[in-house]
Formats: sequence, structure tokens, C-alpha cells
Amino acid sequence: MGKRYAMVIDLRKCVGCHACQVACKSENNVPLGVNRAWVEELETGKFPNVSRHRLPRLCNHCENPSCLNVCPVKATFQLEDGTVLIDYNRCIGCKYCIAACPYDARFINPERKTAEKCTYCHDRVAAGLQPACVNTCIAGARVFGDLNDPASEVAKLVATQSVSVSKPETNNRPQTYYIGADERALRPNLLEIVGGEK
Amino acid sequence: MTTVHFFDTPHQIYWGILIALYFYYTGMSAGSFILTSLGTVFGIEKYKRVAKIGVLMAIVLLAFAPIHLLVDLEQPGRFLNLFIHVNGTSAMSWGVYLLVLYPLDLLIYAWFLFRQDLVNGLAQGGFKSKLYNFLLFGKKDMSPAAKANDAKKAKLFGTLGVPLALLVHGYTGFILGNVQARAIWHTPLMPIIFLMSAMVSGTGLFIIVLLLFEKFKYGEVSQDTRSLVADIANLMKWFIVVDGALMIIYFIVLWYSGESGYAAAYFMLHNEAGSFLGVENGLGMLVPLLILLAPKARRNMPVVVLASLLTIIGVLAMRINLVIGGQKLPLTGSHIVEYAVSGRDIFVGLAIAVAGVVVLSFLYAVLPMNRSGSQITASMSTSKEVAH
Repeated sequence: MGKRYAMVIDLRKCVGCHACQVACKSENNVPLGVNRAWVEELETGKFPNVSRHRLPRLCNHCENPSCLNVCPVKATFQLEDGTVLIDYNRCIGCKYCIAACPYDARFINPERKTAEKCTYCHDRVAAGLQPACVNTCIAGARVFGDLNDPASEVAKLVATQSVSVSKPETNNRPQTYYIGADERALRPNLLEIVGGEK
Repeated sequence: MTTVHFFDTPHQIYWGILIALYFYYTGMSAGSFILTSLGTVFGIEKYKRVAKIGVLMAIVLLAFAPIHLLVDLEQPGRFLNLFIHVNGTSAMSWGVYLLVLYPLDLLIYAWFLFRQDLVNGLAQGGFKSKLYNFLLFGKKDMSPAAKANDAKKAKLFGTLGVPLALLVHGYTGFILGNVQARAIWHTPLMPIIFLMSAMVSGTGLFIIVLLLFEKFKYGEVSQDTRSLVADIANLMKWFIVVDGALMIIYFIVLWYSGESGYAAAYFMLHNEAGSFLGVENGLGMLVPLLILLAPKARRNMPVVVLASLLTIIGVLAMRINLVIGGQKLPLTGSHIVEYAVSGRDIFVGLAIAVAGVVVLSFLYAVLPMNRSGSQITASMSTSKEVAH
């Protein structure tokens, strides 16, 4: 069996320092105003009964990516190892992939003028390094590796821990897993957002 | 349960007014073509006299529609990639070929509709006869066999044009309907809702264009045309009924679907009430329907024009509410995504609209628009002379 790259983020360890977001920006030269990786942070309840939740987001490198299916020029492609990448020289910037991704993972790079998103730091991984966000995480909350290798830490975590993914109902089959994620952080509370929940 | 987001990464709406306008234009092209093909293709005699007006309108609308898309591309210079690299799972990829085949078919269809009139117009001399001579590509045969061939070929390409028109607008429904991430879009009704609203707006615009055409070309609207418009208005009434029924079905099922679907329905009913209930469905559907229910109103040209205007405004609002409204509900984070139309997009939209009107008026002015066959009456040609 070939490789299947995946990431596990252990939210019990995440402190919400946003170092991953900064490292990603720096490593991948991501312009201001757009992000390949970011951290959502929310508080639930009312004092004194409150809790805080964090949700680092990035491309889920889905098994069945919506973005890949809708691209009219096949600029988005998937490697054997599951990594979803964009051919920046082919992308015409129609933005269909951005509209179709259920995770807001994509944006238009205002300088390159093409769609862009997290690549799991493909170049670093190819050189035997860890993705920048994993490398920089101060708490060791992010684990990256080959899900098909039973000896890898990601495979062990996915096998032994209670993991969840964002919006499993979409049939995208996302491959970025969370440990200890709060359901309210994994998806927007739409009813509250539109004012339908008092 | 109260949830407060401390950190929210802002996201923006990438598909704006230009995409909505593209859907609007292709819809009106398909709608006006299908309506005016009732004569040539379906043999309904009274529609034959407006086939030429309708097909030119459909061609011009469809020629200008994709310009919106081209301008919206971040890399417009790479648009040829759409033809070179095909992705069978992308509805947008299907559309690329439909957007070529449909206008091509309409051009051939129009050529057979116009051929005999072009030959007849050769004698008048000047710019027009040079243009006609060029457009004929040497096919000036006026034998009965050639004339029969014109009718046969017009019917063939007109018949081909009907499924192509359905596809060229139906596929845009798939563009939105195939996106499972967004509850407002993700419904199997989307292609059919797009088609029915296209019939409504295509008919509405056609009525206005037809009346303007007669007014400018002949100085007055003929009795034949008035009764035809009353007829079309009656059809439009039924298109609105079907379109409205589809919208109601769509909305009810959305309301009873999952959490995101219910939130989307709530959003349309409350946050977007002005444009969804007010403009799209109130002014754009209910009011014209009530107007057109009365047979008397359908024979009153200014009233029919008012109803037509309302429908084309309503369908534009529907395209905007779906395309842009569908992206306002966030996929991550905790805020409604706001859309602000850019000055550039407004300028491009207006420029394309003006250019479309100019080109269509030019075509109506230079091409032989006389009503085919027996419809040309002596009084017509007299009033034409007077108008000149």
C-alpha cells in the first residue's frame, strides 16, 4: 500500500498561540489578508460555567475533494499520497473550487492571481521535513505522517483515540483529524448566526 | 448555548454580481429562443413572424453572457485551458462546450431563416447589399427546391437548438446544485428552477424587445403583434405559475431539511426578506402574475410591459439572491459573509448591457427583418415609409 498523508491535531494540547498560522504564512509566503492555516477560537457558556475551544483549520486533503471534482481545467490534482495540490500555471482563477470547498480552505492569492490553499507543505515533506505548522507547534499538538503505515504516530493516534473530522456528512472524507474537538467549533452555528436561535 | 468567537478568520465572497449576470443572460437567451422557436420548430403559425427577432436576441444575449465570466477570471488569458483540459466531473467543464455549440447552432438556424430575405435585399445597393452578399457566402439560389431546403434546415437546426438551449441554461443550475457545501444551492430542483425562471425572464424581455422593435422599425405596433403579445403574456402567466410552484416546493423542502438547510431558509425569510420576499417573489412574481391573470390586462400593452419589466427585475433578483446569497452563509467561523459589489464589476456589467443593446439594435437595423411570408401587408410597408 502506498502512502496516505494525514494530520492529527490533539486539541487537548493546543493552547491557541497561533504559531502554526504564523509559521505557515512565513514558510509559504502567504500574502496579508488570506490564510492557508488559521485558528478559530471560541468560548461557550456564561461565567462561571464556561469553556474555551480552539480549532486550527487547514486544507483537509480530502479523499474525495469537492475542489478537485469541480475544477474545470483539472488544475487541482491529487498525488498518490493523498496530497491535494494546485497547478498554479494552469489555474484560470474561476473560483469554483473556492465556492465548492466546505471548509473555506481556499482563497485567491492576490499576488499570484490563482486559487491557493495548504499543501501539507509538500516541498518540505518531499525533503523529509515536517510541515511548517507541525514543526513549530509549541505543544506538539499537531502530528503529521503516513496513515497507511501502522507504525506512524498519526496511524496510532487515529487507531487508538476518539477522533473527529469537520463536516463528515459531505462525503469529502477529510483527512485532517481532531482529538477532543468540540462539535460547536467543527461547524458554524448557522442558526445562531442568522438570528434564528434566541 | 452562547458561543463567542474570539478569533475569526475573515473570508470573502468570490462569486459576485458578474456570475449572477452571466446566469441571467444565458437564461434570457434560452428562454427567448425557446419561446420564438414555437413557430419554426413546433409549427405554431403565429410565432413564425417573430422567429427572426427572437433568434437575434438569443444570439446577442449569449454572445455577451460569457464576457462576464471572462472578466471575472483571475487569469483571463488562460481561458483556452477550458478547452484543452476537460474535467468530466465539473459542470463548468460541460458548459464550455455548450457555450460554443448553442450559439453556433443558433447562427446556422438564423442563417437559414434569413437567407431568402438576404437574397431579396441584394438589389438595394450600398452597404447593406455588400453585407448581405458577404453573409450569403454565395448561396443565392432562389429555386423552389432551395427555398424548401431553407425551411427544412431551419426546422432541423431550430429543433437542435431547443435541447441545446435547455442544456446551456440547465447546466448552470448544475454548477450551483452540485455544490454540496452550500445548502441554498444543493438541490436537484436547481437546474429546473433555473430553466423555468429563464422562461419567465426570456419571455418578459422578448415582449419588451418585440414592442420596441415594432415601434422603432414601423412607427407603430401592428394589430397582429398586439394579439401575439397578448398570447405571449398568457404563456408568461403559466411560466410564472410553474416557476412559482417550483420556488415554493424548493423553499418548503429547504425549511424541513438539515440544520444548514433550515438556517438557509430562515436566512432568506428574515435577513434577506427584502430581496427574497419583496423583490424576487413579490414584485417579480406575484404582482406580474396577478396582473396577467386578467385577460383585459394581457391585451393592454403598457400593462403587459409593466408586468414584463417586473419579471425581468424579479429574475435578476433571484439570480443575485441565489448566487451571492448562497455564499453569505459561512462555512466556517461565526459571521455572515458580507458582499460589497465593486465599482469595477458595476462598470463591467453596465458596459456589457449597453454594448448588447447597441449590437442588437444594429443587427435589427441592418438585417432584413421583414416578417417572413404572408405577414407583410400593404399597410405595413406604408407605415414603414412614413417612419423613414
